[in-house]
Amino acid sequence: MKKLSEFKLGNLKKINTESISKYMCLISVTLVVLIFFVINPKFLSLYSIQNMLLEMAPLLLLAGGITFVLFTGGIDLSAGAVASCTCVLTGLYIDNIGGWIVPLMIVLGVVIGLINGFLITAFKLPSFIVTLCATSIWKCIALISSGGGSKIIPLDKRYLVNWASAPLLGIPVMLWMTLAIIGLLYFIQRNTTVSKSILAVGANARAARMAGTNTVKAQITAMTICSVCSALAGVLYAFKMKSSVPNIGDPLGLMAIAAVALGGTSLAGGKGSVLNTIAGVATIIAVTSGMNIINVHALWKDIVIGVILIIAVFINSDKTGKDVIIK
Amino acid sequence: MKTLLKTEKLGKIYGTNVVLHDIDVEINQGEIIGLIGENGAGKSTLMKIIAGVEKSSMGRMTLRGETYSASTILEANRNGIGMVFQEQSLVSNLSVSQNIFLGREKKFRKYGIVNWGKMNVVAKEALENAGVSNVEPNKKVETLPFALREMVEIAKVLNIVDENSKRGSIILLDEATTVLSEEEIQILFGQMRRMAKLGNAVVFISHRLDEIMEICDKIYVFKDGGQTAVIKKEDANLDLLYSKMVGDNNSSEYYVTSRQTVAEEEILLSVKDVSRFGEFNNVSFDVKKGEVLSICGVEGSGKESLCSVLCGDLGHTSGTIDVSGKKVNLSSPYAALKKGILVVPKDRRDEGIVGLLSIKENIVISSLDRLSVGGIYISVKKCNQISENWINKLKIKCTGIEERINKLSGGNAQKVVFARAIESEVPIVILNHPTRGVDVGAKVEIYSLIRDITEKGCAVIVLGDTLDESIGLASRIIVMKDGLVTGGFDCQADKKPTQIDVIKMMM
Amino acid sequence: MKKNEIEYMKNHSVGAQFKYKIASDVKKEKIRIYAPLILLVCITIVASVTIDNFFSPKNIVNLFYQMSIPLVLATGVTFVLLIGSIDLSLEGVMGFSGALVALLVANTMNSVHLGWLGIVLTVILGTGAGVITGYLHVKLRIASFIISYAMGSIITGIGVLTYKGTPANVTWSVFDAIASESVFGVPLLTWISLSIFGLGCLILNYTAFGKAVYAIGNNEAAARSTGINVNKTKIMVFALCAFTASCAGILACVRLKIGQVSIGVNQLFPVITSVVLGGASLAGGKGGMLQTFIGVLMFTELNNILIIVGVDPNYRQLIQGIIIIVAVTLTITRSRKTITQ
Repeated sequence: MKKLSEFKLGNLKKINTESISKYMCLISVTLVVLIFFVINPKFLSLYSIQNMLLEMAPLLLLAGGITFVLFTGGIDLSAGAVASCTCVLTGLYIDNIGGWIVPLMIVLGVVIGLINGFLITAFKLPSFIVTLCATSIWKCIALISSGGGSKIIPLDKRYLVNWASAPLLGIPVMLWMTLAIIGLLYFIQRNTTVSKSILAVGANARAARMAGTNTVKAQITAMTICSVCSALAGVLYAFKMKSSVPNIGDPLGLMAIAAVALGGTSLAGGKGSVLNTIAGVATIIAVTSGMNIINVHALWKDIVIGVILIIAVFINSDKTGKDVIIK
Repeated sequence: MKTLLKTEKLGKIYGTNVVLHDIDVEINQGEIIGLIGENGAGKSTLMKIIAGVEKSSMGRMTLRGETYSASTILEANRNGIGMVFQEQSLVSNLSVSQNIFLGREKKFRKYGIVNWGKMNVVAKEALENAGVSNVEPNKKVETLPFALREMVEIAKVLNIVDENSKRGSIILLDEATTVLSEEEIQILFGQMRRMAKLGNAVVFISHRLDEIMEICDKIYVFKDGGQTAVIKKEDANLDLLYSKMVGDNNSSEYYVTSRQTVAEEEILLSVKDVSRFGEFNNVSFDVKKGEVLSICGVEGSGKESLCSVLCGDLGHTSGTIDVSGKKVNLSSPYAALKKGILVVPKDRRDEGIVGLLSIKENIVISSLDRLSVGGIYISVKKCNQISENWINKLKIKCTGIEERINKLSGGNAQKVVFARAIESEVPIVILNHPTRGVDVGAKVEIYSLIRDITEKGCAVIVLGDTLDESIGLASRIIVMKDGLVTGGFDCQADKKPTQIDVIKMMM
Repeated sequence: MKKNEIEYMKNHSVGAQFKYKIASDVKKEKIRIYAPLILLVCITIVASVTIDNFFSPKNIVNLFYQMSIPLVLATGVTFVLLIGSIDLSLEGVMGFSGALVALLVANTMNSVHLGWLGIVLTVILGTGAGVITGYLHVKLRIASFIISYAMGSIITGIGVLTYKGTPANVTWSVFDAIASESVFGVPLLTWISLSIFGLGCLILNYTAFGKAVYAIGNNEAAARSTGINVNKTKIMVFALCAFTASCAGILACVRLKIGQVSIGVNQLFPVITSVVLGGASLAGGKGGMLQTFIGVLMFTELNNILIIVGVDPNYRQLIQGIIIIVAVTLTITRSRKTITQ
């Protein structure tokens, strides 16, 4: 009898700690919003909310893509650079090509993802080094093609991009599109064979391999999903800023990874959900916009995001495997 | 002669599994002691407890009359006990002398700068002390041949132990001769005798019984975590050792031999002349439908890498593998699965279960393509249904299909891995130590599962956890030794070979 | 390769094959160690033949001047790569130190003038950032690349905050002097960087700490069992890396006489490329100071050639990205079994 009661107590404890980390993202976003609202009620004004929702759209896309790479236990540091690159290309060529630039950028994203995935799986390189190199390459291409500065989309072509920022039922069209894509990602996560392999590779690559999963396909797919999302995020930035900005992506990679980590996705791979990423992104956007509203200098942003990342990663890290060597 | 170390009722438990129990060993000054037994009989565990790698869970040890226990290797070293590990623990990118004095550079240091010249001189002495004269102490370890590395490691352990204890040290050697040539083994033996003569004691594990009988004064025989005999040198002979190493046979009921199927004519897997460079050579065999083939051999016989080659984890150097009469290229476990081969791996925690995922995901992971629509869409409902079925059928104890698999006990987790293998519907299943770390109840269930699969027409290859298991399950046995197939047995349900027959061919 | 093995297999035992395998691994390792040196010689010869005055004393001095800051950074990075970790916060620490030192000596922004103490203080604070990175890495058990990525962002932010957007110009005459002095015809900056590099050589090759670094990268479990304090060693390695980054930041500030975080931008990548080119492995345990020197020299030469030939700086970065992927691919050890993440 005694054993039984002990067993139950143990179970109860586990459920508690686990549910905390599960709902952490929701708790944190409410907390952040509340704090800023108390300090300055303007934080929840219509204008401010509209603005935040608009800000959220591209970052949400980036973070949604990165979530899949983190599922595999890898990382994509190049997401921001890819976004810069497509932002520049969209801004530069939308007046010539028109709306067709969007599918073209998606194709570019696929190509980038395939290259990253190929290098990681074929040569067995760590993802962070491959994507670090990719960062330097795509950043360069962004700088080279833009000539180093921002360029505004000409006024007579603005109709091509304006619709995306316009509100539909109170929410920007851009965010509707992003939410649709997140829905698609959620479907992929829940209902496809490849996502099962992706999670298995992240949870235990060796066991996943021995069980006969196609680890190569899993890793390449994850990298590709991420790059496509990053490419689309770049397009959205061009639409939002109405110009091509070659350094737009520089801080984004870190923000996106911090957002995903806040959403409870482990950097070690194997667990998490795209839906939680939404709350993570909301938290990050609330923090950055909130700091703006309560007049904290914008220069603090890097510091705050860095600290958030460390805390979020720590909370979600697996603390049981003390014997595992971490490099 | 003084007693150095004595154990009383020493034992070790992992979870619910007793891996070592009631060990009473006495190590005296000047003795060379041999430990023998099958793989997993508990020899290595005992060594590790003495050397401070693992803690005992039962019983006590006394060292030179005082109670002793060590929780780190360092602590054991300080007490004059050193162990040479099976997998070498040298740092290959440092020089020989740096390795010998790693972590102990203090006496060569002045103003924080280490005097390598002085260290080399002392290292040379230490090497000569251990009988190794042909190694330059300033050479990097990675440039040395394997056998010399082994000798360096022995010299290192000797030096550490000597430094700490002048009262008689204990050196533990775990499978130290596996990579050495005949000549090198003789040098090592000479050193062992010299060390013993100086008032130290040497404990030696080997699978080669002739070696053990040649060098050891006293031989402890282990079986299933217990100690079955202590044999003095003058009483030792092969037959006696063999008979003590194998225990009573378990009943045929235990292995459900009544349901052993007779192999059909159809050959499912045909291995022809397959070699892997430096691991095994020219292995050939066929496995027929409904057959259970046991591969027996000691550690290092090449059976483990043969298993890895068959499941696609390692490549082979030459030879061909046919599945159902068609030549296949097993470039990865994924390719092997596509061709119809799946393995239940040996190391359950690292290779068997996908720890962070749920029971459900662990069950369907090898059948994704079959369960999906067009290889893409997979229905959550279908996965749930399949998993529920397996949990009920195999009586897996859990809170539900969504429970994380690493929360299950060893036996239940292994049942999930079996469910995965059967659900994948492959015709050829490789079982690498299928009952390692599993309690008795679950063992019997697993054995009857194996009979289920063969009745359905699968071919099964088993690398048994114990020799008894290998024979009990098998309808045919092949034996490997030193990378070659040395023989085989037919095992009809009523006409099984004895363990001694098989072990003679293995060792 | 496989043909040789099959031939050898015909008349040798499995044990002999195993020894043959080990011996051929040793041979391969030797080739791997000497390859960067051979490549360096080849590049130098080709450049000397095709480019006028490439091998002239003037250009050589110029080369060493160009590699002074990368060499300082590479000294610290070598240690980090040797333990198998990576430090992405290097750019941040370098930028922070450059910005801070400008504010602590005579400058156009404030009236603080601590002189040499300012330099010491900057180095201490910079090294402190490394200690924090290392501490968080070993205590919170978070992978080094992610913790240093986050720390890089934090320390860059602090660096920008110190001067709030408008960087300070240094007016202290000592900086001028260091930047323009030459000893034996070689700029003082080069001498300083060589001495920091020399210090790195001393620590890596002649101290117990240096050997502990090698041991951890090669076989962490074995290192721990010999009584090496692995956590402490790792923290010290990150501190050392931050120390060199901090020195590099100060040197860069000396050279430009302006303190802003952007002096750290685009420094990390060339340095990691150089160290890997020299033969260090990202998996740890392989590499050394001499190899790092060869790597940095080779990289600087390549860069120099690209400049002389007239390649756009943006394209140069692109080429760097490709070089590092090729170099890492060639140096990483892999087996069919491993899956990288």
